[in-house]
Amino acid sequence: MSTEGMKPSTSAPGILARARDIRCVYGGGEEDFTAVDGVSIELGEGQILGLAGESGCGKTTLGNALAMIATPPLYVLSGSLEIDGETIDLSTLSTADLKRHQPYRGRTVSMLPQGAMNSISPTLRISSLVRDVMRAHDPKITKDESLDLARDRLKMLEMPVRVLDSYAHQLSGGMKQRMITVISTLQNPRLLIADEPTSALDVSSQRMLVEMLLAMVEQRIMSGIVFVTHDLPVLSQVSDKLAIMNAGSIVESGPTRQLVENAQHPYTRTLLSSVLDPSQETRRRGLARRSAAQATTTTAEESATTTEEVGKP
Amino acid sequence: MNLGRYIAQKTVWYLVALVAAVGLNFLLPRLVPGNPVDVIVSNLSRGGSVTSEQQKEVYESYVQEFGLDQTLWQQFFTYLGKVFTGDLGTSFAYYPASVNELVGQALPWSIAVQLPAILIGWVLGNIIGAIAAFRGGNWDRSVFTTSLFLSAMPYYCLSIILLYVLAVVTGIFPVGGAYSLGLTPEFSISFLWDALSYYWLPFLSLVVVFIGGQAVGMRSMAIYELGGDYVNYARAMGIGDNKITQYIFRNAMLPQITGLALAIGTLVGGALITELVFSYPGVGTLLFNAIAANDYPVIQAITLIITVAVLLANFGVEIVYGIVDPRIRAAKSGEK
Repeated sequence: MSTEGMKPSTSAPGILARARDIRCVYGGGEEDFTAVDGVSIELGEGQILGLAGESGCGKTTLGNALAMIATPPLYVLSGSLEIDGETIDLSTLSTADLKRHQPYRGRTVSMLPQGAMNSISPTLRISSLVRDVMRAHDPKITKDESLDLARDRLKMLEMPVRVLDSYAHQLSGGMKQRMITVISTLQNPRLLIADEPTSALDVSSQRMLVEMLLAMVEQRIMSGIVFVTHDLPVLSQVSDKLAIMNAGSIVESGPTRQLVENAQHPYTRTLLSSVLDPSQETRRRGLARRSAAQATTTTAEESATTTEEVGKP
Repeated sequence: MNLGRYIAQKTVWYLVALVAAVGLNFLLPRLVPGNPVDVIVSNLSRGGSVTSEQQKEVYESYVQEFGLDQTLWQQFFTYLGKVFTGDLGTSFAYYPASVNELVGQALPWSIAVQLPAILIGWVLGNIIGAIAAFRGGNWDRSVFTTSLFLSAMPYYCLSIILLYVLAVVTGIFPVGGAYSLGLTPEFSISFLWDALSYYWLPFLSLVVVFIGGQAVGMRSMAIYELGGDYVNYARAMGIGDNKITQYIFRNAMLPQITGLALAIGTLVGGALITELVFSYPGVGTLLFNAIAANDYPVIQAITLIITVAVLLANFGVEIVYGIVDPRIRAAKSGEK
């Protein structure tokens, strides 16, 4: 997917959020598995931070810790998030911590989840979810006020308003993902954690979603995004900064262009070289390699047949 | 979405099922080898005082009375006509008592003991199961173990244990029956008060097992739903636990509704074992006695009532499912 030229212009931003020393484990017993090991990140106002790495490296776990939704068997042992002049203790060791974080969720830090396809209860209309999300932070808001806000947001993003009356199964995958994006940002969160939001989408839906997210940052619907994905081509075009994760740690981070063009860490270089390049040159090289391999196999088979025939009495 | 179309479609299917069920209900007892009138006549002549002439007269009179001299088709249409006018026939064993009268006497006792047991058991079981799933830990472990034990326990076992402990040993409740000897069933405070003391044991033996079964089912469903993406997302949006619990409960209760409806549907058949253990005069006891006496009209009437009740219950489930789950409504009404 090409998203060239879609990146919002950012000039010397102030700091939006700073996360320090996040440690997460799965298990909570003697055989804990450390998924995130002392990660710290920093994000400027209006910036998009790309968080990349192979599957299982801890990206989603870090996203869950930042979004304050870690539930057993995932425990956040330590970590803090400085945002809006407030320092939030991210550690989640019991259900009491989950309750402590509730006022921040959806408003200070919101989440655009990996499984957006199933993120809406199948027996719930979209409008009901919108109302519940709005009431979670403003118990006095009426149903009409909530829906008016959602309608305005949909119109602003040039989306059909009628989707509010739908159930999840009545929407296409792309529409569902965009609707979830709208709901996730209804509270104008300061920081949005977008966890693999484009993974399950076709390329045209991917493009629409990315354009929508960039438009939202430009219009200051939210002040920054942590964009978690293994899709490096998308990240290299939409993010201002990149952080590469491996085995629960960030091995390298920096401005996107600098990191893509001049990666220092061997893992980053390996990851970047693993990206499939659909250019003609790469295709030619691939085809040439395959032809050479086939030729070698055929020669070997012919040679074996000849040897057998020679050996016959 | 078209709820009307969905209901219309379901109604047609259930009418077809009803016709098939009525046909089978008529046919199956007639496929059983032997003639029920032979049994009655041979019972009459056991004492040896009935002559063969008299036997023949009685036989012919019964055959005519029950319409057994007609062809199967004629019998079927006679049966259909009677069923649709609410006439379930005459009992063989309690001749000349009508089946309507016998079932009418037994049915209130079965409904009175089972309906509250099913409803209370369903509500309590689901609440207990849901709480166990949400709380987890020791609460869940103890609730799950107890519920599993109770639901796996056969009705008759619990009935006999309760009967022995609460009636025979401690004497808290009467041993059997539905009311004290010498009383006649009537709607008076004194009679209802007397019947209440006989009511508790069969009620308890049913409700306890039902609570266990429902709690186990609800717990499993709620645990499954708790891991759903929509739960994590609602939490990430700052939605409170009470609201999330409502989402989960609504989705987890769908299979439970089926269980409730089927239980209500089959309750008209009586709780056979429980009624026998406590000598309760419900439909279960009537059915048991009818089977023992080859009283086909009574057996046929009870199975017909059970069939109709189960069909109605399933129909109710389909409608409730359509209302609760929009996906089912859409799929079944052919909506794309």
